[in-house]
This record gives sequence, structure tokens and C-alpha cells, in this order.
Amino acid sequence: MSISVREFGESALLVEIGDRIDESIVSRCRAIADAWEAAGHGAAIPAYASVVLRFDPLRLDPREAEREAFGLSQRAIAIATVPARTIEIPTRYDGPDLEATARSSGLSVDELVAAHAGREYRVFFLGFLPGFAYCGMLDPRIVAPRLERPRERVLAGAVAVADGQTAVYPFDSPGGWRLIGHTELVMFDPARQEPALLRAGDRIRFVRL
Amino acid sequence: MIRIISAALRATVQDRGRFGQLRAGVPPSGPADPFAFAAANALVGNDPDAAAIEIVGSPFTFRCDDRRVIAVTGRDVALRLRDRIAGWTAVFARAGEEVRIVAGERSRFGYLAVSGGITTDTVLGSRATYLPARLGRALQAGDALPIGAMRVDPTRAGRTLVAPEYQDEQVRAITGPHAERFTEEALAVFLSSTFQVDASSDRMATRLGGPDVVARQGEILTCGVLAGAVQVPSGGAPIVLLADHQATGGYPVIATIITADLGRVAQRLPGEPLRFVRVARDRAVAALRDERRAFAAIA
Repeated sequence: MSISVREFGESALLVEIGDRIDESIVSRCRAIADAWEAAGHGAAIPAYASVVLRFDPLRLDPREAEREAFGLSQRAIAIATVPARTIEIPTRYDGPDLEATARSSGLSVDELVAAHAGREYRVFFLGFLPGFAYCGMLDPRIVAPRLERPRERVLAGAVAVADGQTAVYPFDSPGGWRLIGHTELVMFDPARQEPALLRAGDRIRFVRL
Repeated sequence: MIRIISAALRATVQDRGRFGQLRAGVPPSGPADPFAFAAANALVGNDPDAAAIEIVGSPFTFRCDDRRVIAVTGRDVALRLRDRIAGWTAVFARAGEEVRIVAGERSRFGYLAVSGGITTDTVLGSRATYLPARLGRALQAGDALPIGAMRVDPTRAGRTLVAPEYQDEQVRAITGPHAERFTEEALAVFLSSTFQVDASSDRMATRLGGPDVVARQGEILTCGVLAGAVQVPSGGAPIVLLADHQATGGYPVIATIITADLGRVAQRLPGEPLRFVRVARDRAVAALRDERRAFAAIA
């Protein structure tokens, strides 16, 4: 698989591996991020098919950082670094976009709910907001493009779908995903030992209430 | 203790940033103007990791229980104790002496460092305040914050650092990492135009108006981002990410502001112009090295 390493300012690099959503690529990105952080160079942010690697250019020459990033990306193989957990998310399917999403998918509301709740998803990575986990993949029958006009305010706990993925909003925030339900679970709590409820690599399941 | 008498429009404790929780989706936060923040710490003899106070608006007034060396930095800021003292200068404040930070018309983010540093409890490994997730909170009149042991003597007072040219509308950027998502024409528009800072700009981003910069494809597969990244949403109006940016983003990044110039972007006021000039990475690293040298010279 082709690996590219690009400059991201003078204090970071962007490693890209392909350009599609694929579970094995996601976990390989995670392995690259782990290896970079373990080497003590700085923080890393893995996503679908890319990893941002931060470093201090006054300590590590950027060209040296590039060589290291490239070598480490070639060596990194997709292994689960933490045992996968399965987390259940009790969900009331009562979101404002539920009916419209069912309609655009050519499903009844019950069929849509069954399709969403009847599947195990993988947590790809966290981003956007503290504790916001990008999870997938949705049943391909669910057609849910992002809203053209994002809502100014989505409530914390909203269960949402967009472009083959699903997530729970951890905070009240603006948002462009389609809202199909809500959960009472607290997705992010700084007082917890591990503040984010979900971590990359977890398996999750929505349980209809 | 430092006792806050008046807390301006918004004042928050910040350290360099919370970089250990990016993978949980937590923005780094930290100072909007990292250079001014680092300079304030350097002036009073603190470690770069020490926490200071970021101040927006006025009036901000405080006193310390014991004598301290203090400094205020940022754009268009000064101190008033016995006399008015210019910003970017280490000052000796007597125990219990009331100090006011004077924010001028062009002030946006000010930084107050106190020798010993602010030593409030860390949250998730950092003292950086991130208000949307309630990591820390805005300071209020009557707050008393612990400060560390003072390690420098009062003879430090009078040392100065040179403020950046905050009036200068041109900032340096390294193109990419998604430059190929833009046509040569779009890149040329980006590098030759004058943009205006939008009133919606905040600690999350400096949002710009001006000519549209159109990407070949509106969205990318979501990827990690950092402060200084210039995102171009499908509307074409560039956004420069700042301290409170989301850990990941879905818009192509046409260029990245060099770290040395990031604070000058954050300090631009609504309506002020901003232009980008392309530099090579070596120049960006050299600029950081110059910063470090300036701090070492007053250590």
C-alpha cells in the first residue's frame, strides 16, 4: 500500500495511507500513532487513513522526522493494541431526523431502527469533540448524507448517522449529522479515570429502549 | 496566592496546551498567541510549561500575597502599578500591591505571567482551560489561585522582550498538506489576496472573508489537524485554526501558518487585513530558533 509523508507546518507531518474507509487501514493508522508516541517524539492523531505526527523541530530535525515516520509507517501493521471491548449504548429512537432518514432510505421507521440497532460497529477514532467517536459501518441501506445546513445546536446524547457512519454527540454543539435517537450515557466526563466512554478499536452496539 | 479583583471580559488559566488527549477528541487549548505566552513566562523566569493567565478585554486587576516578578505580553497591553509600565517588560510587584492590566484599543489576547507560575490543579494532565467541555472555568472576581515558589530575584525587573509586529498584515505559511487538492489558480488566489478577519473569529479559529479559494473537491476524509492549519471549507472562505481547534477536520488544508507567526494571526482584530506568504520549512524552524535565542538571552 502506498504511503505518503507530507509537511504539516514545521512541527508536524501528515502520513497518508490510501483514501478510503477500511477497518484494516484505520487500525494500521492507530499502530503508526502508537509507535510514534512510544518513540517519544510527540503526540499523534490517527484518523481513517492518515496520521498527524507532531514533533519539536528544534529537537528532531524535520528531515530525520520524515525518514523515521516513513520507516515506522512501513513497519506498522494493524494489530489491536488493546483488547476490543463491546459497549452497549441504550438508545431511544426518537430523533428529529428519524422519519426523514427512513423515508430517504426507503425503509419503515421500524426497519431503520432494526438496521441501526441490529449491527455491531467498530470505533474508528475520536475527534470533532471530546469523546466524539466515529463508528461504522452502517447497513448500506441507510442513506444519510450530512445535512446541507448543519444545526446550530445538537443536544448531548444525540445518536446520529451520516455517510455510512454513526456517532453520539458528547456535548451540546453545532452538528451536521442526522439525528435518529438519543442516549442517557455520558460520553465524556473529565472526572472519570478514562474520560471518553469509547476508545478507538472498541466494538459498540445500540440497544433499543 | 494571586487574588483576582476584576476578571475582564474573559480570563482563563492556560499552559502550553493539553496535547495528551488529542486522541480522545479533546482540543489542545492553551494560548491563542503562543509566542506572547512563552515570552511572558520567559520574562518572569518561568519554565515554558508554567501556566499563566490569558485575558480578553478589560479591566483585569489583581494582587499577589507576596512579592513577585510579573509581566504582561500580547498586543497593545501595559501594566499600571505605581506608574504605567509598558508590556513585554518584567516588573517587580510588592506584596499586596494592586496591579491593573491596561488593554489598548488594539488589544485582543493578553498574557499575565507571575514568577512561580499558576499552580491550579491539572485536569487530564494540563492546566489549559477549555470552556466548551468545562475543563477549567473562566476566572471571576474574588478567585484566589495558588502560585508556585518564586525562583527569581527582583533584580530581574526591567528585562524586556520585543513584541512581534502585530500591525503587520502579512504572515508566513508552508503550503500543504493538501495543496494538491487546489488548482494552481486557487493557490495563487490564496497567496496573492488580502483577506479580512471576520467578527466570528475566536479562540477556535480566525475566520476570513475575501475572495473565494475553491478546492477541486470540497471535503476530504476526516484527518487530524493542528493550530495554524488553514482549512478551506466548500464555501471558499479560509479558516485559520487556533488553540481551541477540533482534533480532526474534514476540510482540505491549503497551507499551515508557521508557529512563529501564529500569534499574529490570533491577535488580528475583526476587519483587519491578513495576507499569506509562502516560506520553506527551514525558514520556519529558523524563526523558532530565533525565538528560543531571544528567551535564552534574558534567562
